[in-house]
Amino acid sequence: MYELKPITGRVEEMRRKYRDTRPEMCTARYRLLTDFYQAHPELEGILRRAKAFRYICENIPVRIDPGEVIVGAQSAKYRACALYPENSAIWLKQEIGDGTIQTRDIDPYIISDEDKDYVLGTIDFWMGECMSAKSDAQIADEYFQYDDNGVLLFNARNQAQSPVGHFIAGYETAMHKGFAAIKAEAEEQKARIIEEGMPGDSVDRYNFYRAVAIVSEGMITLTKRYAALAAEQAASEQDPARKRELEAMADTLNHCMEKPARGYVDAVQTLFMYHTCMCLDANMHAISFGRIDQYLVGYYEEDIRAGRITEAYAQEILDLFYLKVAELNKPWGYFHTQSNPGYVSSMLMTLGGVKKDGTDATNPVTYMMLQTMGRLVLHDPPQALRIHKDTPEALWEAAIETTKISGGVPTFENDDVIIPALMGRGLSIEDARNYCLIGCVEPSGTGNEWCCPGGNGTESYLNLVNALWLGINDGHYPLHKRLAVKEGEPIPFPQRQGSATGYLYEMKTFDDVLEAVKKQFEFFVRWQAININSFDYIAREMLPQPTVSATIEGCMESGKDVMSGGAKYNSTGMSGVGIGNVADSLSMIKHLCFDTGKCTTRELYDALVANWAGYEDLLSYIRNEAPHYGNGLRECDIFAEWAAKVFGDACNACTGPRGRYSAGLYPVTTNLMFGRGTAATPDGRRKGEPLADGISPVQQMDTNGPTAILVSVSSIDQVQYPNGTLLNMKFHPNALNGEGGIRKLTDLIRAYFGLGGMEIQINVVSAETLRAAQKNPEDYKNLVVRIAGFSAYFVELQAEGQEDLIRRTELAM
Amino acid sequence: MKGKFYDIQGFSVHDGPGIRLTLFLKGCPLRCLWCHSPESQAFPTQLNRMEVKCTGTETCGRCLPACPTGAVKPGRKKKALAGEGEITLVRVDRTLCNDCGKCAEVCPSKALYLCGTDLSVDEAMEKVRRDKPFYDSSGGGVTVSGGECLCQPDFLLALLTACKAEGIHTAVDTTGYADWSVIERILPYTDLFLYDLKHMDSAKHARGTGVPNERILENARKIAAAGGKMQIRIPVIPMYNDSTEDFDAAGRFISDLGAAVEMTQLLPYHSLGAIKWERLDREGPRVEAAPPTDQLIQARKSQLEALGLCVTIH
Repeated sequence: MYELKPITGRVEEMRRKYRDTRPEMCTARYRLLTDFYQAHPELEGILRRAKAFRYICENIPVRIDPGEVIVGAQSAKYRACALYPENSAIWLKQEIGDGTIQTRDIDPYIISDEDKDYVLGTIDFWMGECMSAKSDAQIADEYFQYDDNGVLLFNARNQAQSPVGHFIAGYETAMHKGFAAIKAEAEEQKARIIEEGMPGDSVDRYNFYRAVAIVSEGMITLTKRYAALAAEQAASEQDPARKRELEAMADTLNHCMEKPARGYVDAVQTLFMYHTCMCLDANMHAISFGRIDQYLVGYYEEDIRAGRITEAYAQEILDLFYLKVAELNKPWGYFHTQSNPGYVSSMLMTLGGVKKDGTDATNPVTYMMLQTMGRLVLHDPPQALRIHKDTPEALWEAAIETTKISGGVPTFENDDVIIPALMGRGLSIEDARNYCLIGCVEPSGTGNEWCCPGGNGTESYLNLVNALWLGINDGHYPLHKRLAVKEGEPIPFPQRQGSATGYLYEMKTFDDVLEAVKKQFEFFVRWQAININSFDYIAREMLPQPTVSATIEGCMESGKDVMSGGAKYNSTGMSGVGIGNVADSLSMIKHLCFDTGKCTTRELYDALVANWAGYEDLLSYIRNEAPHYGNGLRECDIFAEWAAKVFGDACNACTGPRGRYSAGLYPVTTNLMFGRGTAATPDGRRKGEPLADGISPVQQMDTNGPTAILVSVSSIDQVQYPNGTLLNMKFHPNALNGEGGIRKLTDLIRAYFGLGGMEIQINVVSAETLRAAQKNPEDYKNLVVRIAGFSAYFVELQAEGQEDLIRRTELAM
Repeated sequence: MKGKFYDIQGFSVHDGPGIRLTLFLKGCPLRCLWCHSPESQAFPTQLNRMEVKCTGTETCGRCLPACPTGAVKPGRKKKALAGEGEITLVRVDRTLCNDCGKCAEVCPSKALYLCGTDLSVDEAMEKVRRDKPFYDSSGGGVTVSGGECLCQPDFLLALLTACKAEGIHTAVDTTGYADWSVIERILPYTDLFLYDLKHMDSAKHARGTGVPNERILENARKIAAAGGKMQIRIPVIPMYNDSTEDFDAAGRFISDLGAAVEMTQLLPYHSLGAIKWERLDREGPRVEAAPPTDQLIQARKSQLEALGLCVTIH
């Protein structure tokens, strides 16, 4: 039986503090950066970034909170975020100015009056200087006529709120080499270029190495400032045990980052300090950790063997490390917060999988990571468990027990699909086997790839459902903001936002419909690539990343920054949202208008425009009787396969400044906000309702249970989506009771992976969820609960039954 | 030939080994007082009324004129989900209703729906095949349940034969209340019986289920003798079959069946089936007791284990 060991008192205390602290905005970084940029108008490009970063390292407040062993902070106050005006000053000015930053319904931040005044007093400097302003100037002229099309998530303008990000630095290089050696390497390269007389355009390479040397210095300086603080605290510490610990911390901090890690604690501290440095450098999203169990196991086993550390202490260090990571959060403008709510930074960690030689990589640290997840129950940082055919039973058990406790953590990733998918993107077999995951579900090489899964600087989601809508509406977005359309009135719009593909009621055959949708998909994929590429061009100049490039394989060799294509592997991601609605809508158009004659194309079109008003019978037929995607019905599933292929092919064929594009099918929570901007759809969705999540079927339309869903989603050839796919499933704990239950869930995931599934996350429903479902039954209509003897929709149970089930759920957990 | 089904459930993890597809056949000769699937009892298709889905006669009410016998009528009032007002739900006068389903055809929210679907073996097999990868990964298969699936013997035999022809593991979930000749025919195509044992005393059995138990016990012995594999299932009903003596008797009987019994499962009574009775406008389940306590179930489990039986709690 899987067992969670109790956490220590100080871990408990820190977790309580984490949960009880309301995030604030800290202006320390903002002030330093503003001072530096204003004092140094002569600097630009990579040197400005490097020197500004070093200046931050030299001056940012350092703090070691009570009980901490692993240290590093981006802010002067606990759980506060840093500010990054060089990305986008526009939303900062607006939301701090009108005070909504403190009152907004998603992820509000506290800011003091003094800080507020300071930001508002200086923000105008950034309005023209920030990345958003610069990238707006790069937008292709032709794009403006297609603006507000409902398909591309973020308007091309002001899109640098959270630029770049989504990468895995070479943490192992940082641990194994240390930044003194990296700096020395950079200095050597500089000397060589000087020796050669700086031929051709090698000045770029020279400046790159110069920048690497500068940021290395900065990171070492910051770490030593922490060492000094630890020594200072040790000197005045009364408790002898803590005093010894602080002295040991001072020793670690004096050594690590600069020199190679000597043991487990050095290695964990390097991991977190380097990570903190990257957070201080830029407002990057999803700076992920990669294969922590693989990085740490050598140090861990050596320390255990030599008796330098106990298992319990190593586990506590890991707990403390996770809590430090959880503390980090980054600010977004309100608009972007809607697609990433919960103060998340998506600093994903990967565990399990195979080694470079293809053998099982499970090790003691893999289990320690699961222990930490299970006993801390944090929603952030997220965790991804790699699964392959020889994943040990014990690891399956530990993982499923963990996912039961912590609600969908870790996610399960299929090596057998992801490795070939990455090889398709150009990774060698060894590098593909050493992959990790970024952000949510995006596969990447570990420390050698710049794959920009979210686009290189923008969030590259596409609302495929609106692309379908434009496909049957001659390229007009029915909810275009410039049109005050009255519900129920089809209006010939003055200007198209997409490709001219005709109206549904003009289409004679179903093939005409498919052709129109295909054109529209291709049209918007192309525009997405154009916008991202335009952004990429200016981002290379504005936001080079020498702190990251210092350890990413390929950059030091080529003398090129990651943003300029220095990494060993390069690509750019896109992600399509709502594939379930597209599949279901296509199959429904065929079923209704071309197969059964239930209605004409004109009637269906009018029904959609009217948001079903006056067409209730048709809607009822669609929702209750017609066949839907997600039920293992081939006649519907083929359209998921078709639509995914059209999108994937279009996406995978695009190229950008650093190389190819890579398709994905995951939404985070954009399916909710996209849904608000999508009119009624043929699948029986009403205007404004959420789109389907990931590759999942349309909500409530899957009535044949989990196996049927898995069969349906497997119709999509997932190897074609190297940027990741996402499938979320909910189970009631009764379905997983006891050892047999765990075994069956394992078998379910195995079978899905055997069918070609790439990723799955399992949500075991909590009593809390059931309470929420009682309050808002509309939002939980498809929540299935298992009652001994039968399954039922929770919201359809009578009140006493619901109460009883909640009680049982509490007991089962 | 068609079978009459009232439900089909994928990812069925409590009805036999591995991940299974459970096919529920409609119709049962027993009338257990605690029945949690009353819609499984009658053989014909029946009208069900799920009150929580009804949107009220004020804005809908299409079922009222659709009913040819006048059985669908305005019923009680309820607070509307949205807004302030009240809505009038519909009710079904079961003395007039002939289960024709005309009301269900027009009901947009499917508050009124027919329970009972006819499928041929081929149609059923299409659903069975869909989940083959899951049976294979888990050592699962198909479970045919009920109602009492032995009451549709020809269809059952054809279905099981088709499953075995495709190498799919089969389980039959049964009350055992059937003619031995029926069981004898399906025995070669049934890998496992999930076999109910409700009471060892025939008179009490009849009081709880409407039928005596002699035939059931006899069939169990015959299956064991013929080399069939069984899991025995005991619904634990308070004040009915949960005493030490009841379990002594049951335990002895199960022990006597010998190696044929792989496992004994205890299914503690619960009242959550009540909603399904309401959907048929029937009074039930007619058991006036609280669900058994965990301590009692554990005690009964230990009691059987002391006899060397392998026992699980459902």
